[in-house]
Amino acid sequence: MNQQTTAPASLEAPQIRIDTLPHAKSLKWPMVWYLLVGQLYSMLPWKKTAWTCAGFPVELLWGFDIFPLHPENMATVAAAQKQSQRLIEHAEGMGYSRDLCSYCKTNLGAVDTNIKTTLGGIAKPDIITCTNTICDTHWKWFQIQAEKLKVPIFIFDCPKIVSGTDERTIEGYINYMVEQFYDFFEFVKKHTGKELNIDRLNRACEESERMSVLWREIYEYRKCVPSPYSSAETSASFFPLVVLPGKKVGIKFFEKIKGDIRKRAESGRGTLSGGAKERYRLLFEGIPFWYKMRFMYDLAKYSAVVTYEPYTFSFAPPKPVGKDYTETLREVARIMMDLPYSYNLEKRIQYFEQAVKDFKIDGVILHENLSCRPSSTGMIDLKNAIQEDLGVPVLILQCDMNDPRAYSEAQMKTRIESFIEVMEKNRKG
Amino acid sequence: MKKIAYFDSSHDMPEEIIMAAGFVPYKIFGDVHKSNAPADQYLQAFFCPAARSFLTEALTRSAEWEGIIVAQGCNATNRHYDVWKRHVSTPFLHWFNGPIKDDAMALRFMKTELWRLIDTLNRQFRVSITDDMIAAAIRESNEVKKRLQRVSALRSEKDITNREYLTVLIKSMTLPKKDAVAAIDELIHKAEKGGPIPKNNIKVLLTGSDVTYPELMDQIDEAGFRVVRDDLSVGERYYTTLIPEDGNPVDALARYYLSVPRPATKVGMRKRIEYLEGALADSGLDTVISQNIKFCEPFAYDSVMVNGELKERGIRLLHIEREFTPGPDNQLMNRLAAFSEML
Repeated sequence: MNQQTTAPASLEAPQIRIDTLPHAKSLKWPMVWYLLVGQLYSMLPWKKTAWTCAGFPVELLWGFDIFPLHPENMATVAAAQKQSQRLIEHAEGMGYSRDLCSYCKTNLGAVDTNIKTTLGGIAKPDIITCTNTICDTHWKWFQIQAEKLKVPIFIFDCPKIVSGTDERTIEGYINYMVEQFYDFFEFVKKHTGKELNIDRLNRACEESERMSVLWREIYEYRKCVPSPYSSAETSASFFPLVVLPGKKVGIKFFEKIKGDIRKRAESGRGTLSGGAKERYRLLFEGIPFWYKMRFMYDLAKYSAVVTYEPYTFSFAPPKPVGKDYTETLREVARIMMDLPYSYNLEKRIQYFEQAVKDFKIDGVILHENLSCRPSSTGMIDLKNAIQEDLGVPVLILQCDMNDPRAYSEAQMKTRIESFIEVMEKNRKG
Repeated sequence: MKKIAYFDSSHDMPEEIIMAAGFVPYKIFGDVHKSNAPADQYLQAFFCPAARSFLTEALTRSAEWEGIIVAQGCNATNRHYDVWKRHVSTPFLHWFNGPIKDDAMALRFMKTELWRLIDTLNRQFRVSITDDMIAAAIRESNEVKKRLQRVSALRSEKDITNREYLTVLIKSMTLPKKDAVAAIDELIHKAEKGGPIPKNNIKVLLTGSDVTYPELMDQIDEAGFRVVRDDLSVGERYYTTLIPEDGNPVDALARYYLSVPRPATKVGMRKRIEYLEGALADSGLDTVISQNIKFCEPFAYDSVMVNGELKERGIRLLHIEREFTPGPDNQLMNRLAAFSEML
């Protein structure tokens, strides 16, 4: 590879910033709503709460009128509040290895030190439920906390749709999942006294789909050049999709920002300040660095904009709507086993290559997450495939989502600047 | 005899089905003496080094096998499968998705997966696996397990080194069963005629990640510890339960594989603790060496609570996080020596 002797102009434009949407700050209300209602459900004896994890169909819990509390999400709050490192170190002091998931250790530290909700703490739930869809960590972590907190736990055993799995096998997997749903319903009734209300479940699915549709429409606008919306904002604004699917407070927020985005797209404006030109369109894969959200904003200095993230998009799969009860359960089971975040390698490569084309991507950044080996598996093949098939450069950044000790400002800057140069050279051909 | 290799992070692979199909089941152990460079082209260095070694073995030796089966265990099995599919040259690669739970639904699902495996082998190798063939394989497998149970009983009293014990287990999972039986019989014969455990050795139970190479067992021996009980997959988990020989053989296999002592890769930490407590009580032991290989998440997660509970019951316990290396590990030796002195 030839050595670049002069840096592209974008490297010398530190004054460029991200113009946030007019309604960006409206996210505060859904967040406050989530925390307040969560606290209310935790306090009132006839209301029930459940800890749950990414990949679990939260709509099911709404169907029981059970409020979902998300330890992972609260771990990101701890990181954003600069608390995660001390909580992780606390958990390591309890004996948990440095190599284990930083979300898990943040939560272990948060519970053990009983920190406030606003700093990433979380209330003790009535039940715990999780799956092994995304990783072993989810159920290992929740199993530990269920033992410590003496809370009943239900673990969904989701079979793995590995590359090449045929439809007949998947149907068999779905049968197993559906059997577990009925077992789960019994579990919930036994430990909370609550029964599934089918109408409430259907409403939750419908509203959840409404929210997902809005998110998917927002992503359609992101295909525009310049993109009217970037990861600097989606990394926070997808919050309602994770913790409040099917809740009006989240839908209203999405409607507001979608209006802002549509106006921007129609006027041909992008996200960079002062009308700066969007020079590099990026795809970012993986969980963001929650303790360093500036990373996404700082890309603007190089006129680089992350226009697509499979991670934030993955929380908006089509939901089962208008189907009968049995069909709904089978559809939920299929979604649980086949989340974009845990796609098998063959499907993941196809999915990424299509996204690179659809979103007119100039470069791909893959977050090789020390806390998430499952998502990092196959990343080398993914990188090679995108580079070889599409000629688009790919950068693998090794870091951690919640542990600031893995992040080196200087190294990150050097690597990003080198990547900008690679993209520039690739453009010139 | 032709082999079908399998990648199994615990004791999840029903090797009796491979035997019934007319093949020798060969558990992939990797080679701690060889560089992981072939696998490291596709898997990062912060993944389990044993799993990387398994891939290295598959990349370099798959031509010796008729096919490979990957059994659901830890995340390395289900996520690395796709990488194996892309890079390992083999005419047959099958995903066996055993359940992680052990309830009635899991049992039904296990049977479905067993039938899917039988059907796939039948079609791939143009064989016709019958109940009688599976029943014969179960009997053969039980012969190995019964002999290993005898070895386990002997090692509590007789001088069977940690290396000898592990070696005979590895042979049981890689050789044709009749050759394994011969190797075990030879060890039993030697032990029965031999002397007792050296007096200065401390008897211990070994728990945690699977030990896949004898050099680590040598180091435990050198530090003055004799492993007389364990709950490892290359250990008691493999033989402590016999496969039922009555009734439908597929049902028997399903019941058996869901009833073996629970590893950290399966739901049921409480049952794992109970097995350890039972093993310690049965053998009158009060000393445990707990270890996990670097980046082995399931056992690392378990270790804090499992070890904590054992300590609360007065068990003397050392936990170590170890590397994957055959060379003398001085840090490990220092910790073992310090533990020995403390005792």
